[in-house]
Amino acid sequence: MKDFSLTIVTPDGLAFDGQAQELIVRTTTGDLGILAGHVNCVAPLGMGLATIVVDGQKRYGACIGGMVSVLNGQVKLVPTTFEWSEQIDTARAALSENRARTVLADKSASDTELRLAEARLKRALVRKSVAGYK
Amino acid sequence: MAGVSTKEIKTRIRSMESTRQITRAMEMVASAKLRKAQVKAMACRPYFETLYRAMWDIVDTGSDFSSPFLQKKDGNKAVFVLISGDRGLAGGYNNNVQKLLLSQMEGKDAAVLPMGKKGADYLKSHEIKMLTEQYTQAETVSLGDCFSVAKQLCKGFKNGEIDEVFVIYTKFRSVLSQEPMCLQLLPLQRSEEKVSKRTQEIVYEPDGATVFDAIVPEYLGGVLYGALCESRASEQAARRTAMDAATENAGEMIDALSLQFNRARQAAITQEITEIVAGSQ
Repeated sequence: MKDFSLTIVTPDGLAFDGQAQELIVRTTTGDLGILAGHVNCVAPLGMGLATIVVDGQKRYGACIGGMVSVLNGQVKLVPTTFEWSEQIDTARAALSENRARTVLADKSASDTELRLAEARLKRALVRKSVAGYK
Repeated sequence: MAGVSTKEIKTRIRSMESTRQITRAMEMVASAKLRKAQVKAMACRPYFETLYRAMWDIVDTGSDFSSPFLQKKDGNKAVFVLISGDRGLAGGYNNNVQKLLLSQMEGKDAAVLPMGKKGADYLKSHEIKMLTEQYTQAETVSLGDCFSVAKQLCKGFKNGEIDEVFVIYTKFRSVLSQEPMCLQLLPLQRSEEKVSKRTQEIVYEPDGATVFDAIVPEYLGGVLYGALCESRASEQAARRTAMDAATENAGEMIDALSLQFNRARQAAITQEITEIVAGSQ
């Protein structure tokens, strides 16, 4: 399979910079697979699993928010947060999930609180599910 | 007479010494904080640059969909995000961004969103309109806060409450040089020459306007966070330089006072000897 150059940058630093053969990310409209020679394209990212094939090896990551752009063969993944599956702190994700669930169960919570808790719950669930992929 | 003045000089030397001790300690603290802030700013930079470049590539090579974020508006209701420090004693750091704000605000119906206590205090004392005081502690503003500010600004921009958005921050060039900067965030203006060079088409998933609406708040949040990291590093660097200079100045003053003290003491001894000799004759 042909290689293409892939850069993954987050506000916390560079997560990946090099050659990859395949990238599958969850966009707001569903999964998007990218191979070498993909047409120029831009899509906003949702929350979900990102699969990256490097040297024939599959690597998994939890990829939340941001965007992906393909321009002249250069693939740039610019998520708000990105964690490789082996780096995910499952204890923290579980804690965050519990916190979100208590807020959601609370009937007196305000709209913004509910929205924040919902987003937090989604993130926690994505992290937990991705942590299972090795 | 000489005795009084030596005592006075002695107290001044002592107070100067304790001042020097404080400024030296502050310099050391700033150095330690600077190292941390610098690492963070450097880690953030590739994100900032990639986001910025990707955004402009899209704007410049994109097809002709008309996003509200690309349209220049006629009004002059501007919002400035002012990133300053929480504490003083950082040389010209806080002053420089405030001066830049004043010069940029001229002729505009401006509201300011301060990040940093010093900036907020300045706005209060000058009675400049503030958008919100939620983020006045620059130390504690997080990435999530940057994104919620971005969302809020984008919403205001789309509603027509805001016509322009700027961010004022301090660019961290090096430990010795920081530069206050003003960056226009909205509207995104295409440069004319680049537009004509447009050659290839880009596929937008699901469509251009939706992509833009989703990406612009992300872009804004990312740029704000990048600017915040740069400013934090700049603040510590500015404080370190200022405190280094203060320590040096204190040392110079102590040297000058010590010389004066020794001279006065010598004069007192000489006088005493002369008096004894005169008395014994």
